[in-house]
Amino acid sequence: MGIGKVESSDAELVGRVRAGDISAYGALVARYRDRLGRYAVHMIGDREDAEEALQDSFVRAYRSLGRCTDPARFGAWLYGILVNRCRTTGARAARRRRVFVAADEFDRATPNGPDELERLEWADLVERALARLGPEYREAFLLKHVEDLEYEEMAEVTGAGVSALKMRVKRAREQLQKLLTEARHV
Amino acid sequence: MSDGDELVERVIEQLRRPVGIDPALDARVLREIAADARPEAALRAKPRMIWPWLAVAAVLAAVIVARPWARRDVAGETPFQFVLVAPQAASVSLVGDFNDWDPNRAPMQVAHGVWAAVVQLPPGRYRYAFLVNGVEWRSDPTAPHASDDEFGTPSSVVTVTGGGT
Repeated sequence: MGIGKVESSDAELVGRVRAGDISAYGALVARYRDRLGRYAVHMIGDREDAEEALQDSFVRAYRSLGRCTDPARFGAWLYGILVNRCRTTGARAARRRRVFVAADEFDRATPNGPDELERLEWADLVERALARLGPEYREAFLLKHVEDLEYEEMAEVTGAGVSALKMRVKRAREQLQKLLTEARHV
Repeated sequence: MSDGDELVERVIEQLRRPVGIDPALDARVLREIAADARPEAALRAKPRMIWPWLAVAAVLAAVIVARPWARRDVAGETPFQFVLVAPQAASVSLVGDFNDWDPNRAPMQVAHGVWAAVVQLPPGRYRYAFLVNGVEWRSDPTAPHASDDEFGTPSSVVTVTGGGT
């Protein structure tokens, strides 16, 4: 599954926005909110920063909609803006702190039984392992395996070459295996 | 499938779970963009066909970025004059990071086919472009290309140093 062909009516919605219909942009935001939000949360590691980056990306995309030369591929174009925004936020957040989503979930909810506790512990392990990857590896891994982008789409979104991206994904997989295997034996 | 691969598949499965983004984000985005009250022209894409006279103008077009004036104002901002030679253009706007890429905030004035606008810039690095006739994006051929532009249209970079450039 890619990001170019799934949303066949993106072009139509972009056309309505360009004609002055702001509600059509609301439909685009609703369409991409959860998917892009998931990427931002995992990439940045802090929910508040991630939602701020996401909101900012949507606003920037609207203000620059005249620069979206292929409205049918609005999703890919939007990903490019968010990826860039996450890089900036991620670099800032890394210097400050990193709040883990799963740890945040621990704080907000009392685990309901051993299964729920195990799920939260696993989620916490995954988030911590992901956080230990270099940002370029984390970015490539998330785009490929979680967001299901093709390598050509990833190249378009990140500005990196396909072979470099393949190498990053491979290294990310190896590092995650190593980190999680070690963590489970502690 | 090896144990390592299985482990990574479990990681992927975990990361694909919804993270529960606040649905109120939609309203916040719409509120922010509604406040822009941007005109229709600002959101139009490039036309499918560029008028021949515009192509001629593109060939003739040359951009001169004037050097910042020697003085600096009291707020520490430096006035930059941007100039575009485009005798056939009906309108030209200067858009960039410094005005949220809003064509209404820096319309350029024309005299004998030379379009100019002065913008006060605090120290920093700014990406910018020229929007010709509300639809055609042009970078500045005399300035560095903005390689980090994520929007996919041409743009240039100007850097304002603390002590002026």
